[in-house]
Amino acid sequence: MENFTNDTLNINSLPKFEEVNFSSLHKNYIKVVSINIAITLLIVAIGIGVLLYFDEELQSTTSYLIFGISYSVFALLVLFLSLAGVKRRGFAVREKDILYKRGLLSSTTTIIPFNRIQHVAMHEGFFSRMFDLAQIQIFTAGGGDVKISGIEKEKAENIKGLLMQKIQNEL
Amino acid sequence: MQIDFKTPQRQSITGIVVMFAETLQGVIRAMWAPLLIILFKLEPEKYILVGLSFLGIIILVGIVAFLKYRNFTFFLDEEKQEFVLSKGILNKSKINIQLSKIQQVNINQSIIQKIIGVYSLDIDTAGTDKKEISIRAIDQNLALLLKERLLDYGEKEEMLLDENQEVIPKEENIAKPFIKISYVTLFKVGITSKYGRTIAILITFLVTLFQTFKDAVDTFELDETQVDSVFEKGFGMISVVIIIFGILILVLFINIIRTFIKHFDFEMVRQKKSLVVTSGLFAKKNTLLNPFKVQITSFSQNFFQRKLRILDMNMKQASNDEVNEKQKKSNVIEVPGCESGERDAILKLILGKIPEKGQEFKPNFRYLLFKILFSVIFPILIFIVLSFTVIDDLYFYLPLVFVYLALVGFMIFYGFKNYRMYSNSEFIILKHGAWDVENEIIQPHKIQGITTKQYFWNKSADVGHLTLHTAAGDVHFHFGNFSEIKLLVNYWLYQVETSNENWM
Repeated sequence: MENFTNDTLNINSLPKFEEVNFSSLHKNYIKVVSINIAITLLIVAIGIGVLLYFDEELQSTTSYLIFGISYSVFALLVLFLSLAGVKRRGFAVREKDILYKRGLLSSTTTIIPFNRIQHVAMHEGFFSRMFDLAQIQIFTAGGGDVKISGIEKEKAENIKGLLMQKIQNEL
Repeated sequence: MQIDFKTPQRQSITGIVVMFAETLQGVIRAMWAPLLIILFKLEPEKYILVGLSFLGIIILVGIVAFLKYRNFTFFLDEEKQEFVLSKGILNKSKINIQLSKIQQVNINQSIIQKIIGVYSLDIDTAGTDKKEISIRAIDQNLALLLKERLLDYGEKEEMLLDENQEVIPKEENIAKPFIKISYVTLFKVGITSKYGRTIAILITFLVTLFQTFKDAVDTFELDETQVDSVFEKGFGMISVVIIIFGILILVLFINIIRTFIKHFDFEMVRQKKSLVVTSGLFAKKNTLLNPFKVQITSFSQNFFQRKLRILDMNMKQASNDEVNEKQKKSNVIEVPGCESGERDAILKLILGKIPEKGQEFKPNFRYLLFKILFSVIFPILIFIVLSFTVIDDLYFYLPLVFVYLALVGFMIFYGFKNYRMYSNSEFIILKHGAWDVENEIIQPHKIQGITTKQYFWNKSADVGHLTLHTAAGDVHFHFGNFSEIKLLVNYWLYQVETSNENWM
């Protein structure tokens, strides 16, 4: 019980997660996301094109215009929102936990203490690899698994190494 | 045989066949619809073209399978006590697992694997994504050896655990029940709980029945007008009341039967540090409850239950028992209808003491606005739009609208009133529910991760959401004071990061 009063006194002087400086993702990651979205949009566009090609009722200038304009607006919107979302992401590694922040309309922060990490995986997408970027995935026993994309590969390796070392030291 | 796993190695060379089969399976699963269309609409002169493209796909799958095999390596880093697995062709992945975190190693064999004589080896940690760590083709000796090596590390700990685990029931050793639920209590539970679920079951049943009845009418070519008139005659005001009354009785009746079947002879026996729970009428279910493994403890009570002085308890355990998937569901252990004294005894056993409610946190009134927006304003808007456009005599249903409003109003008001979070240095208690008021109790050191969320339009009001991730699921507190939430988060992080207590 003695500890309890100590804790309540300390609560305001504890390290504050909300004041941590987040490092944003590597600027090249924007390019990776753009390429990925562009490819997806292109595939959908081809799909629509095939539909137009086979359905003769839709073959008129007005329908081309309608499809063309609405799809471009949609594509631009998707691209813009995704890139804005990427810019809002950030992560921070503290002494005893790792933080990940994201969200466009909201600001969502997930914090995972090192002593609750189960294992760590590193993924490198095809385009990410071209820019020397990687993704780190952190697994816990709870639902708050975290994936941080767009970290320089070397840095990602370091973070992963650090996390693994911390896990080991826990024992 | 001298094998070490220190250098990265590939799977069995025959594993290419497994990779091939699995990749092909994936391709077929993704493309079966277009494939079928192509096959059916095929014109004879295009046979060669289609044949060639199929051949092309097969070759491509072969190449993919080979590359998958080539890029898949695993090794044991003895120095760091890690198992490292790398895979992927275009998208590469590297997964490190601390040996001490490995909970289970399973060796399995599918049909294809059986044919070519290899095994798959799956590694389970308490982490959530299970498919990640699986070696698809490895020969038996190697698999057994690797399994042994992987589990070697944890052996010491496991031995210790085994000692504790001698509490598994021995017939002669059964002590006096810690808690025993009587028939009277079961009856009380039956008439007071889980109306919602029973009504849902009843509705499905009635719909099926109605469908069958209609089919029968159609088949036997009964005169529909006759049947209809029977319906109409009987449909006076009094009969409506009788029907509603009948349904109520039926719901209660079904509830009682369900409760008896599930919880018949419910007994909780205390054995050293764990509890053995047995219950069931037809199939007697036997569950071992280890207090350390309980992540969330909760009890709930509604108005009737409060009058009858009973409450329901739930203990959610960490869902790591993935021996078979079915067990996942039985990770919640339910105690139906215990008294407050019994509840306290269970709480004491699981949590070490009876949790006190700490500092109280209330939700912001925006919680009310949010609920009203989604369950009052939107539905009513839809109703108004419908009544002006599609259906004319919607006004006929106006009384129903008021019934709905009264019900929803009640739910929202009491939901808001009961929505609370309490926190002190040892326990976090979340209270919620309009009818069944539930108290969920979590010990801070069982937290696995924390997520906070704030929409930008709530920033100036200093309102935000909180999610606590535990090994038995997430727990939320919405629309709280964000400054307070942040303080709490920092405090809980401090507790988790400094505590040496095992969460499991």
